[in-house]
Amino acid sequence: MSRIERLGDIAAELKKQGVVRTIAVACAEDSNTVGSLARAAEEGFAKPMMFGDEEKIRSTADAEGVSAGLFEIVHEPDPYNAVRAALKAVKDGRADILMKGLVGTDKFLKAVLDKEEGLLPKGAVMSYTCAVEIPEYDRLLFISDTAVLPFPDLLQKKAMIEYSVAMARRFGVEMPRVALVGASEKVSASIPGSLDYAMLSVMNKRGQISDCIVDGPLDIFCACDPESLRIKGVETPIEGKADVLIFPSLEACNAFYKGLMLFAKGELAGLIQGTEKPVVVMSRSESAASKFYCVALACLMSD
Amino acid sequence: MITRLEQMFDLLKGKERKKLVAVYANDSHTIGAAHEAMKRGLVDVTLTGDKDVIEKICSEEGIDSSLFNIVHEPVDFKAAAKAVELINAGEGDILMKGLISTDKYMRAILNKEKGLMNKGAVLSHVTVIENPNYHKLLIVGDVAILPLPDLNQKIAITNYLIRTAHALGIEKPKVALLAASEQVLPKIPANADASVISKMADRGQIKGAYVDGPLALDLCIDPESARIKGLTGEVAGDADCILFPNIESGNVFYKTNTKLQNANLGAIVVGARVPAILSSRGDSVEVKMYSIALAALFA
Repeated sequence: MSRIERLGDIAAELKKQGVVRTIAVACAEDSNTVGSLARAAEEGFAKPMMFGDEEKIRSTADAEGVSAGLFEIVHEPDPYNAVRAALKAVKDGRADILMKGLVGTDKFLKAVLDKEEGLLPKGAVMSYTCAVEIPEYDRLLFISDTAVLPFPDLLQKKAMIEYSVAMARRFGVEMPRVALVGASEKVSASIPGSLDYAMLSVMNKRGQISDCIVDGPLDIFCACDPESLRIKGVETPIEGKADVLIFPSLEACNAFYKGLMLFAKGELAGLIQGTEKPVVVMSRSESAASKFYCVALACLMSD
Repeated sequence: MITRLEQMFDLLKGKERKKLVAVYANDSHTIGAAHEAMKRGLVDVTLTGDKDVIEKICSEEGIDSSLFNIVHEPVDFKAAAKAVELINAGEGDILMKGLISTDKYMRAILNKEKGLMNKGAVLSHVTVIENPNYHKLLIVGDVAILPLPDLNQKIAITNYLIRTAHALGIEKPKVALLAASEQVLPKIPANADASVISKMADRGQIKGAYVDGPLALDLCIDPESARIKGLTGEVAGDADCILFPNIESGNVFYKTNTKLQNANLGAIVVGARVPAILSSRGDSVEVKMYSIALAALFA
């Protein structure tokens, strides 16, 4: 496949590949959900299956000026039942992707994490990866974890790397460069995160993490700016051209992406990682474009 | 670069002689070793201890006691304190244990006010092994002092191994960080610490050497094993230095070398202001000379 350079190109790639995915949406009653799914359906790569209050879904569609005929609507007015029904559609293979609508994230994720009926395989790490596009960087950045793991431990960081690398590879980045982000490139016993990073780098060297180049700790300058590398004299196979950034904590990663959205004209597409099938949980504060990209990303990552 | 212990004597030729201070030299083993080292031109010697006893032993052994600078102190731990005092006064470069218990000897070195330790320094032990089945010397630690070094102590030991290699003329030694496998296994401290230290070397936080780890022993010293496992890099299969994760593994390694494979060795205590020698009465004259030569090169 060709390389997807921009988030806006995901839809074109899906169309080129002839991908059409069925998306089961729980409580599909809000304008964010209805709007982004209508556009995805119009583009032709998504078949939305809306679980929720049929009347509300139709009136939201009217308000958004989109045709409710784009959706298959399953009337399920109780939010708890709507979540379970959407989840079951995915479990049964009637849908490829699960998506959260107007229902609390807690309630939604609790169902996803349910041991018997949920979507997380036993022992798997649930995490979150975002693909971020900013005009000032010549490639997409895949960053983790913006939303799920507050203080990832070493093995969770390993999973975050693997998920982000899988996503970058789906975008056609054959050998993603993974920078493990810290405040400096030094390894120090007094900064536990830097010890994790050292181990993860050597795991990559030893082939325990494959299909990518991992190095860290590196600060953002050394990770993403060859000129800073040159000035600091740091040697790293990342070469200032990171595709993936792994952060030591949710706060750091979250602040990074929100800073980019607010001050650097960033757009993003994000997806829950670790589940058997893609799970979309969008934040209401994201732009309309980002919401559409999230849906497109889920379709791209769906097998 | 030298590949045999004997070549240490060549390295010392033409260099200014270091001053060895023997602690409580009240026995023929200590006096004999000091005398032999002097005869070979490795060091000059000061003996602390009971002057009468020392002179008596010298005459029994047919050694001219006027060759030595003798400092009279008939009580063992006071002789140790005196020797340390001489070194701190700049009158000695190497400390050597005589007829005093290791415990008292180490206590004199470690004494907070009057000892030989700089604040925060890590006292450790370096052994240089010549095994007839390996193509060069192996510099290893810690086989004798630190039972279970933590990460920072391992970093200190790594630096001592590198410094020793430099003293032996090995410009950029290859340091292998030993574990039971080459994989990074976060729950196994040997593997976890080794990967951290090798990354620190990547970042220039450990200088003057190639560093790689974790590596199992075969991967440290056998190029064929390294090739089969697909390990590249300077170190695998050709190590000059090996960092052991704990005293048991290091101790078993050096004793396997000496007892089962006719290896020879020299060893020093490092981390104090001067190198110290801990040889025991059972050591051969050669081992004692190698240890003194090593200390003189390291000093």
